[in-house]
Amino acid sequence: MTTVKAPPPIPSLPVACAQRAGIGLRPPHYQAILAEAPAVSFLEVHSENFFGDGGQPLKYLARFREDYPISTHGVGLSLGSTDPLDPHHLKKLKRLVDAIDPVLVSEHLCWVGVNGRFLNDLLPLPYTPEALEHVVRRVGELQDFLKRPILVENVSSYLEFIDSTIPEWEFVREVASRAGCRILLDVNNIYVNAVNHDFDALTYLDAIAPGSVGEIHLAGFQDTGELLIDTHGTAVCDEVWALYQYAIARFGQVPTLVEWDTDIPALEVLLAESDKANRILAAHRPEVSCAA
Amino acid sequence: MLHDVQRMFASSLISGDVAAAPLIRSGKLSAERRLEVYRHNVLTNLRGALRDIFPVVNRIVGDAFFLHAADQFIRATPSHSGDLNQFGREWPAFLGDYPHAAELSYLADVARLEWAWHECFHAADAALLDLGRLAAVAPEAHGALVFRLHPAVRLLESTFPILRIWQVNQADFAGDMQIDWETGGDKLLVRREDGTGVEVVIQSLSEAAWRFLCELQEKHALEPAAAAALETDGTFDLQGFLLESVQYGVIVDFTREDP
Repeated sequence: MTTVKAPPPIPSLPVACAQRAGIGLRPPHYQAILAEAPAVSFLEVHSENFFGDGGQPLKYLARFREDYPISTHGVGLSLGSTDPLDPHHLKKLKRLVDAIDPVLVSEHLCWVGVNGRFLNDLLPLPYTPEALEHVVRRVGELQDFLKRPILVENVSSYLEFIDSTIPEWEFVREVASRAGCRILLDVNNIYVNAVNHDFDALTYLDAIAPGSVGEIHLAGFQDTGELLIDTHGTAVCDEVWALYQYAIARFGQVPTLVEWDTDIPALEVLLAESDKANRILAAHRPEVSCAA
Repeated sequence: MLHDVQRMFASSLISGDVAAAPLIRSGKLSAERRLEVYRHNVLTNLRGALRDIFPVVNRIVGDAFFLHAADQFIRATPSHSGDLNQFGREWPAFLGDYPHAAELSYLADVARLEWAWHECFHAADAALLDLGRLAAVAPEAHGALVFRLHPAVRLLESTFPILRIWQVNQADFAGDMQIDWETGGDKLLVRREDGTGVEVVIQSLSEAAWRFLCELQEKHALEPAAAAALETDGTFDLQGFLLESVQYGVIVDFTREDP
């Protein structure tokens, strides 16, 4: 890369997806969703679970796509790794995106492996100018490859690197602004990190530019006594709901997703969580919503 | 440098050492403890991938044994993909060599069956073969036809009754869990239900039928494949089985071998 490329314009999102919350689509809920057709505004899947060449996963996804906008959320691309982006992974992601035409495509602001060996966990980056430049370049590569803008999600973390010189919120903001992508703001991850690393979550939210947030994630964590661990295995806690309310006041109506990945409860429980988000979204006046 | 941080951090997570501790801020928790948290998360994710793909092995050996074996496997076997569905291909071979599982001599074959099931679950779709196309081929040309099997077809053999073992260890199995070890081994076809379906089914095959499909999988033409099957069992109903294989979508295409 010789010159800094102007970020591409980011198309605005369907307003309908912003007015009601979506839910993470997981196999234990397939039959219940087909039977009950819940009024969620979109369904989000982990992209890699649909990387197969065919069979049941893709058949179900195509079926759900008839009734709901789909959001694809990647957990394994390793956007922040110093390894080259895995061409097989890219190809499979593009095949999925081309087939499903997702309303949102997102990846994590992290690394997953290095030197060809994957650790398959969302590992935090040192927040340095070098890492920032690297991630900005990689987001550009991915957007060029997919021929569409993506969203990048802030991750939860249980450590900070000594090398870090940039506050996480500035790093996230700068990636989005320089790479021309939107932010998938995980409010639970902000809360988890605020407790784990002893900062004020509102400082984080205030640093993120309105208009740059394309999606919000909500989930539950586990308090081990020494750290908050982002397990996606419980209901969203009150503190995170309060932050979410603050975020919606700041960012407007943004597509919101409730994730639940471990100890997955009955669909009704998940829907009750998404209804809480709906109430907060509805309380926000739509005329100031979703500025692109 | 970013690369050095990643290299050292990853190395500490894999090997269990604390060489990466100086990279990490301590604060209310030590750097070593923070490394430990990530090591645990990495293990949990990879263990989870193995449990998802190999539930029958897990049921047979129980959680404690499974996790202990899984941790040894994970340390010895790098994951080469960001897609966890790719992790575990070497697990059956690992179990075959695992000293603590030596008494469970069938375990590796059960794991092979589960990996075959997993591959069939994600394999490409294929349309059924149009029988009219086959009927249009002159009978004297049949012997030179080379059949193509559905991408979601796997053939397995074991000297143990692994299908019965697999069946009685399904979560929803109700009934007599007795396994008759005298029934001998299995020759199995793992495929999708009715070819175009998405449910994975496991079907027991006769020696001759298994031999026939193995020949087809090797891209041998019908004539040598039929000869091999009939050599195994002179009474094998070749025509009936061939028709069934087309109807169930096990055979989905054919080409003519060049003379």
